[in-house]
Amino acid sequence: MNTDKNESPMTQILADLKALAIGFATTFKHLFQKPFTEEYPEYKRPLPARSRARIILTRDPDGGERCVACYLCSAVCPVSCISMQSAEQADGRRYAPWFRINFGRCIYCGLCEEACPTAAIQLTPDFEMCKQDILALVYEKEDLLVDHGGKDKQYNFYQYAGVVTDVGEKGTHIKEEKPVNIRSNLP
Amino acid sequence: MLTWIAGFILLIVKLGIVLGCMLFLAAYLVWAERKLLARLQVRYGPNRAGKFGLLQPIADSIKMITKEDIVPEAADRIIFLVAPAVVATTALLMFAVVPFGSSLKIWGREIPLVISDLNVGLLYVFALSSLGVYGVALGGWASNSKFALLGGIRGAAQMISYELSLGLSLIPIVMLAQSFSLVDIVQAQANYPFIFVQPISFAIFFISAVAESKRIPFDLPEAENELGAGFHMEYSGMRFGLFFIGEYVHIQVLGALAAVFFLGGWRGPWLPPPVWLLLKIILVALVMIWIRGTLPRLRYDQLMELGWKVLVPAALINIVITGAFILI
Amino acid sequence: MPKLIIDNQEIDVQPGTKVIDAAEQLGIMIPRFCYHPALGSVGACRVCAVKFLQGPFKGVQMSCMIDAKDGMVVSTTDEEAVDFRKYVIEWLMLHHPHDCPVCDEGGHCLLQDMTVAGGHGLRRYQGKKRTHHDQHLGPLVQHEMNRCIQCYRCSRFYQKFSGYRDLGVLQIGERVYFGRYQAGTLESPFSGNLIDICPTGVYTDKPSRFIGRRWDYERTPSLCINCSLGCHTVVSTRYREIVRQEARFSEAVNGHFICDRGRYGFFYASQEKRPRYAQINGNEVSWEKSIQTARDQLNRISQESGPGAVASVGSVRSSLETQAALSRLCQKKGWQGPVYWIDHGQEMNVKTAAAELADELAVSLRDVEQADYILAVGADPVNEAPMLVLALRQAQRMGAKVCFLDPRPIGLPFSFQHISVAPQAMDLILAHLLKETIDQDTIKGLEPHEKKIFDAIPNNSHLVSSNQKLLNAVANDIRLSQRLVIVCGTDVVSETIPERAAYFARLLAKMGKQVGLFYLLPGANAFGAALLSDDAPTFGRILDEIEAGLVRALVLVENDPYGYYPDRPRLERVLQQLDLLLVMDYLDVRTIQDADVFLPTLTLYEAGGFFVNQEGRIQKASIAYQGGHPISQFSNGNHPPRSFRNQIPGKEAQPAWQALIELANENSATPKQGVRADILAWLVKTHPLFSKLPPDNAFPSDGIRINPGKDIHFRSAADRLVVPTLASESADQMELITVDWTFGTEELSTRSPHLRKMESKPCVFMHSNDAAQLDISEGDKVAVRSDTGIVSIHVTITDNMAPGVLIIPRHQRLDWQHLGASKITVSKDQIRKIREEEPC
Repeated sequence: MNTDKNESPMTQILADLKALAIGFATTFKHLFQKPFTEEYPEYKRPLPARSRARIILTRDPDGGERCVACYLCSAVCPVSCISMQSAEQADGRRYAPWFRINFGRCIYCGLCEEACPTAAIQLTPDFEMCKQDILALVYEKEDLLVDHGGKDKQYNFYQYAGVVTDVGEKGTHIKEEKPVNIRSNLP
Repeated sequence: MLTWIAGFILLIVKLGIVLGCMLFLAAYLVWAERKLLARLQVRYGPNRAGKFGLLQPIADSIKMITKEDIVPEAADRIIFLVAPAVVATTALLMFAVVPFGSSLKIWGREIPLVISDLNVGLLYVFALSSLGVYGVALGGWASNSKFALLGGIRGAAQMISYELSLGLSLIPIVMLAQSFSLVDIVQAQANYPFIFVQPISFAIFFISAVAESKRIPFDLPEAENELGAGFHMEYSGMRFGLFFIGEYVHIQVLGALAAVFFLGGWRGPWLPPPVWLLLKIILVALVMIWIRGTLPRLRYDQLMELGWKVLVPAALINIVITGAFILI
Repeated sequence: MPKLIIDNQEIDVQPGTKVIDAAEQLGIMIPRFCYHPALGSVGACRVCAVKFLQGPFKGVQMSCMIDAKDGMVVSTTDEEAVDFRKYVIEWLMLHHPHDCPVCDEGGHCLLQDMTVAGGHGLRRYQGKKRTHHDQHLGPLVQHEMNRCIQCYRCSRFYQKFSGYRDLGVLQIGERVYFGRYQAGTLESPFSGNLIDICPTGVYTDKPSRFIGRRWDYERTPSLCINCSLGCHTVVSTRYREIVRQEARFSEAVNGHFICDRGRYGFFYASQEKRPRYAQINGNEVSWEKSIQTARDQLNRISQESGPGAVASVGSVRSSLETQAALSRLCQKKGWQGPVYWIDHGQEMNVKTAAAELADELAVSLRDVEQADYILAVGADPVNEAPMLVLALRQAQRMGAKVCFLDPRPIGLPFSFQHISVAPQAMDLILAHLLKETIDQDTIKGLEPHEKKIFDAIPNNSHLVSSNQKLLNAVANDIRLSQRLVIVCGTDVVSETIPERAAYFARLLAKMGKQVGLFYLLPGANAFGAALLSDDAPTFGRILDEIEAGLVRALVLVENDPYGYYPDRPRLERVLQQLDLLLVMDYLDVRTIQDADVFLPTLTLYEAGGFFVNQEGRIQKASIAYQGGHPISQFSNGNHPPRSFRNQIPGKEAQPAWQALIELANENSATPKQGVRADILAWLVKTHPLFSKLPPDNAFPSDGIRINPGKDIHFRSAADRLVVPTLASESADQMELITVDWTFGTEELSTRSPHLRKMESKPCVFMHSNDAAQLDISEGDKVAVRSDTGIVSIHVTITDNMAPGVLIIPRHQRLDWQHLGASKITVSKDQIRKIREEEPC
């Protein structure tokens, strides 16, 4: 009910009726418009690169696995759908011997991607992954690992980390000085 | 004896035809509602099952029937199971007094095109429509869920408020037709439909009828964004389907009643009487869908204000004026 | 009592309390990197800055450097202090590498926490970072020097606190380096504590390297059962596997630290070879069938040959519940046992120790730190109970003198006196020392029979005269000291020594000194065994009876005679004669191969339980996890199975007490619930000592101490005190003793693959005089022949041990069990030098 006290009840009622009429006219006009609907399976709308759907594990520019199995994604995951095991590779890299995401539980919130310090875990726009068997939604590492860098093609964590791996010895990484010679007192 | 048997057979046949038509219509009313609503909102609506989604009602009913019928652990089991049937049955029973043509002559027998011409048909309609709310209130209560209970209570309160204005809006019609029988009321509109003499009465009746059928903008008992699904929140499978059927049969009944009381019932030129009634029912239903596609839900206080402060006084004044005219 | 105000809260603290500790008592945790309650303050990291508003100091000061004083008003949240700490964090982070994701400290890193708490999120420093080469520090500790923030905790712990010298500070300024001069395995058996105290990831745990994060671990308070001290630990479990064990603070026992044997000695629990299924004659069967078979057979033998034909052997590594259940079973069935001791000597030593620990004499490990003189008799702390070294070191740092009376080459990271005589002469020396020390007043107050013994102590032995100077010095020091602790071992000593040590302590107490008595026992729950073994025969006696055909069935409960019995050929032969050998264990022991029936049991991590340490302190270990095959083994290192199971695989094992109660009952329907409570109720009923055992949910963290005193089933004390005698010495005879080593001899820790890398090669120790006589030089391989067999072993020659003694470790890589009974003498012609290629 309109409560404008300056107007007489009659004008008020007329105004209300007019508003009603406008509403009905608007919806009635819609009947003759072409629907906006995009018909999904026939037409697939190109999604933005940052859409959040199926999760992948990417590789650094040299082809090495980016994931260092630091457990940050599994820690931040609000539905606990990520589990993994970490271990050491022969070349000194920390990696995940197995890595599991249960997409039956995943809510595609993207917190794992935000938490990932090595840009390894990324969400992709591919959302068509519905399965009859719920166990088919449990993805193992071989299902998740891709052979590209995803959204960030250049980043290589081990060039910044300063630990000894196949990427480089101490002092050879980005913004590092040569290691201190502890047997010399010369500056 | 023979007459009695023939009469019985006839009754069964009539019942079968009417029931079949009503359920079929209910099913396609759902389709029509979804389709039309979609168009009002610039969408397509169901278009996958069959051409234009015409097989959608069949797909839906198969889905409903095959779904698990869940009864919550803490529910009052018997009442929970019966409640949807109450809603559907009362809605169907109301149609018993609606005439869908003048009498038909077959093999010398006069067959009235109404299932039962009660002389208190109008009161029967009110009685059943009041009973119908039991299904809602009991279903909501028996679910033992707070949302369902709130929905049920809202349904009962809304029914009490709007039943009154619904009844009062029809007093002038009874005064004009001088009968409670629906057949007589249609007969009384031989010259002109009552809508022309009783437009205010029609408006009150129509608004109250929409409220009675718990449709937008009066769907507070279900109010999905406040109460989940309100009184039928805990229902699944075909029991939910029964609530659904009840609602759409109710729409038809209200369409039929609107036609009977105000639009001249089955009367109309050129076409056979049942077709006219059908068209009028569909017309009313389409308007109700249009309303649904346009108006937002009322707040609870607005609902009560509209019922008690606007419709009831307006109906009373209308009775007085009509009475005055008749006296004069 | 200084009274000060910190953040508007008033508190009274002990004089000498640092402000940082006073705040902690109020629940205000001031950030700290270099400060550690065990290591004290140095003020190196500058991050504990708070603002002093009133009192003797004003302005921003380091709270770890300032003693709490009356009238101080301190604010930890003052803007100036908060700002100061923020900049400290930022400069500490200047050179810190960007490697948290691959750093094992991540998740429980003090530096990480403080960086986040201080709000330092973005690096402003754009220059190059200083880097360091890392060192290989052995199989336990991983080094990553880039992460260092120069708090000096590691060098302070390693050099100052524990006394070892091989890790320390090198270089100056921002080039400061913490490490060894040459890369190599750390010498200290406490190196694992570097990992705990490092506030960031310079030292990380190598065995659990890259396995998981702290937040994923289930952490449970537990106990170390790798020696008799019973240090407190906390175990981290993940995926049905113990990943890591750390020190848990204990006021009474271990303080903040534990030794490496305890820290890495848990791997037996998730050993791949661990038996997890019941067996009959080597075939896997169900638990119920095994129990049923064992029960039927035992009953049959009991009926045929009397209940005495069944003997049961308990273990000093079993929990009190298991020991009690075994006692109850033996009592109910009338079997012999429970047997705990190898021979009479061991039984006497342990029971004397348990009986002599009166309330006024017993001291805890932490009390040892307060002593000003420590006399250790027949104890080799590094090898027998490593954490005792740290306690002795703390006492020594405070000025205490430490004296050892022991034949072995004692190695300690600090200076001490060492009277090295052969085991058989130790009692004489101790008695002589006693005579020298005691003043006339006390001698006058002695009982007549004591006086007689006292007078009979010979003081003209050549052993005494050759050590006269040292003995006089020691006696003089003891007379001058006020707070003495006598540490007494029970392994290499003769059976009169524990009693004499206690007598010594009692006499010193009569002289008005504050005296403590501290025994070392042969197992984590040897004390409990001493309380529960009653007058059961020794294991040697049981073997005799088996040979004589009197005992036909043997029940071994978590006891592996192959591990300790010194005559292996005989043991093998005797066990073959049994009609029934029932073995229950959680280790892959050799006896399982001989067993007719085998029942797998649970470790203390899976079953929990009470353990009584060597000072009579009952302590409780909680259940850490449910047991079963670790997921890593079950899935062969691959991802876990993708199917569901109703049961945990390999979870058939039950606690040993459960098996024993099921054996005691006549039908199989023993409930799984409430069994433990029943056993404890029985224990309280039959041994009133345990009546003050608190309920599980209110069990104090440091346990409770019980002192059985005369309650223990034992001969009266008067009989035990005898005149020390010295067997005739022959220059041609050498006494051979077998001893424990820190790594390589204890049966649980030798199952740790990481400690196996720490083991040094077994060798025989020989005095240089003996070596010269036999013409043997360092590193030579010799064959030692005894009546039962030959052991060939390399020689290490040393001067700090008793001459005329051969010392052989009970090393798992050495077949020392071929030498025969535990204390033997060999004549010198039985030691022969062999060339490397010669078969022995």
